[in-house]
Amino acid sequence: MPEFAIRTQKLSRRFGNLTAVDGMDLEVAAGQFLGFLGPNGAGKSTTIKMLTGLLAPTSGSMELLGLDFVANPVEVKRQIGVVPEGMGLLERLTGAEYLQFVGRMCGLDRATTQRRANELLDFMQLADRPKTLIADYSHGMQKKLALAAAVIHGPRILFLDEPFEGVDALAAGALKALLGRMTERGTTIFLTSHVLEIVERLCSHVAIIHKGRLVAQGSLEELRAGISGEAGSKTTLEEVFLSIVGQDGAQRPHLEELSWLM
Amino acid sequence: MADVIASVGILTQIRLVAVLRWCILRNGLRRKNNRLDLIGMTFVGILSALFVFGLCFAFFAGGYNFLSEGRYGWLSLLFWAIFIFWQLFPIFAAGFGAGFEFRTLLRFPLNLTSFYIISLAYGLADFSALASVCWLASMTLGTAAAKPAVLPAMLLVATLFLLLNVTLERLVGSWLERLLSRRRTRELFFALFILSMVSLNLIEPILRRYGATLRPLAQRIVPYFSWLPPSLAGKVIASAAQAHLGGVVLGFAGLLLYAVAFSGFLWARFTKQYRGEELSETAAPTPIAPRAVPNVDDALDHLSALSPQVGAIVRKEFRYLTRNSFSFFSLIVPPMMILIFSAQLGGTRPRGTEFHVSSEMLFPGIMAYLVLILMAPAYNCFAFEGRGIQAYFMVPLRFREVFLGKNLMLLSVLAVEMALSLAMLAWRLGLPSPPVFVATLTAIVFAVVGQLSLANWSSLNFPRKLEFGQMRGQRQSGMAVLIAFGAQFLFGGVSAAILFGGRLMENRWLPAEAFTLLAAAAVGGYFASLDALSRLAEKKKEVLIEALCR
Repeated sequence: MPEFAIRTQKLSRRFGNLTAVDGMDLEVAAGQFLGFLGPNGAGKSTTIKMLTGLLAPTSGSMELLGLDFVANPVEVKRQIGVVPEGMGLLERLTGAEYLQFVGRMCGLDRATTQRRANELLDFMQLADRPKTLIADYSHGMQKKLALAAAVIHGPRILFLDEPFEGVDALAAGALKALLGRMTERGTTIFLTSHVLEIVERLCSHVAIIHKGRLVAQGSLEELRAGISGEAGSKTTLEEVFLSIVGQDGAQRPHLEELSWLM
Repeated sequence: MADVIASVGILTQIRLVAVLRWCILRNGLRRKNNRLDLIGMTFVGILSALFVFGLCFAFFAGGYNFLSEGRYGWLSLLFWAIFIFWQLFPIFAAGFGAGFEFRTLLRFPLNLTSFYIISLAYGLADFSALASVCWLASMTLGTAAAKPAVLPAMLLVATLFLLLNVTLERLVGSWLERLLSRRRTRELFFALFILSMVSLNLIEPILRRYGATLRPLAQRIVPYFSWLPPSLAGKVIASAAQAHLGGVVLGFAGLLLYAVAFSGFLWARFTKQYRGEELSETAAPTPIAPRAVPNVDDALDHLSALSPQVGAIVRKEFRYLTRNSFSFFSLIVPPMMILIFSAQLGGTRPRGTEFHVSSEMLFPGIMAYLVLILMAPAYNCFAFEGRGIQAYFMVPLRFREVFLGKNLMLLSVLAVEMALSLAMLAWRLGLPSPPVFVATLTAIVFAVVGQLSLANWSSLNFPRKLEFGQMRGQRQSGMAVLIAFGAQFLFGGVSAAILFGGRLMENRWLPAEAFTLLAAAAVGGYFASLDALSRLAEKKKEVLIEALCR
């Protein structure tokens, strides 16, 4: 088993003149629950899209579970599950049909797919609407279904782009319970979220991207110690985050410029 | 307290909305594919201008002739033409409208009166309204040139007719918006709309058969039309030309009454909207009994011959087809059209026409029509995937399997449609001779499989998102349409040339032999293209995701 579940070297992505991700060297050990943080426009979604095959990198390399993604896309995709930005659901299928579709596409046999789909629908409390199209699901239901689809084939790495955005406390509970089970099973989880409290509660490790560059990476304790200068510090993740990405003066709000709002 | 010190004038608000519409159009052209669409839009613009200005002359001549020759009763026809165009065109052309929901204006500090007036001004900026205003102006000039004395009455009637039409058009639009706000109603309406459009083709055969029976009924109904706005407008002008003051006053009062009634209804609708009418669909939970978990062993896999991925895509495509009222009902169209064609053109007992086409000619023609209709959506085959397009790039498969699944489903639909049409033809006309039958079938294989590679390429390069059961904002990519048109023209042309070549050379089996060779080449080319298309899909995935996830 490879030491690192995810390893990127000099990974970059440019859109015209804009460099969204700039020479990122990221290493995520197998079994880690990583929170990938950054301000708006920092390059989080671009990174996760590259790592899941939705976007081609401009340069650099990515290895997932020891496999080069560009050279072995199909092999890598068999091992990963993704909840992308916007969820990527086929909205004219019912929840069960969609799970069966994804399961079969991932190469599961028909019986296994059907059994897992039923179990996931029950677990996610989506089983009582068998004939409802995904288009008619609420946002929270769609998020739960997207997560169910991402895990139906038992991936070894799970990528989650803002999985809790727009999700109520009840739905969030189901999502967290599932993620808890996945980590116990040794799955590597790569999660982006703007809600730092969730990251702090769920993740063992954090990486922070700012202006396309990876500016910090380590366990929560290591990052806290790095900021406060002492081990066992009670510094919150929000304080850690602000002290790292807020060091650039240009990022700080100049409230005096909005004097007309006072 | 907000810093707003003065309310914005209504003219400023109208100007702001006009600028907004312009910005939406201009910004939409920033993308490369949309710039290519500009070529198509320019072409449509020129044709539309020719249509409007051409008819301006017709309305001028109509107004002038009917008045100068004393055929006053005919004036109503001109008003009817404008009325029907103004009210029906916006429904047909909804797909070309700018992507702007008028209701979004409600978030701004507008009072109800401003909202109402801006809506009317907005309605006057539509193509149907602009064209109708041009025609009304031409008609006014024509009638004034014939009888200058009717000018004041004509100006009054034209103004009132304009107000009445724009109000009614906004009212119908608003009712439709309410009706179509729910997905199921929208899909049902869309299906009925398609069926009614197809059914228009049946009017002529029905009239030919039952015309004599229907005529007395029509004669009893027509007088009631004289109380409708276009007839009243015609009556006012006719009365003014004959100096019948009573007729002028009565007709004008009738028009005024309609305008007031329509305005009242529209005001009531807008009041509801203004107060926050909820049109969105809510997923309110309803208690549903827990389902029984299906027995996995009982579930037969009818697609076990295919790979799991291709089978999954075929199954998904079938479900999408049955849930897309537009695509589903479009399958009814070809057999119906064959019924209509065979009733009008061919058959052992052609209905009321001397022009007889044999099944030898009609069979290839109708099959070509089938291919034309059913292949068109293949040129933008990801149109209905929406955000689901990402699923294809997240799962472990090569894109050739996506194309195989989609193309297999299309071929199955084609086969079913052809079988249905063939049965219909056999019933109506009888089967053609074996050489023509075999030549046509092999020609279909050549034309369909030959087009599939091009259609797949077009789908990757010029994707355009379409919504299920929705009319507004539905527009195919101009380039995809051009490519589809070019390919159909090429394959149709080659097929026609070979068929006629066989006739000229008096070798009845020659076309079948030629098409068999071409079909084999097309099938080989298709499979050879799949890997290249898989690589292209990988390169184009960002274009696809961006276009379909909007």
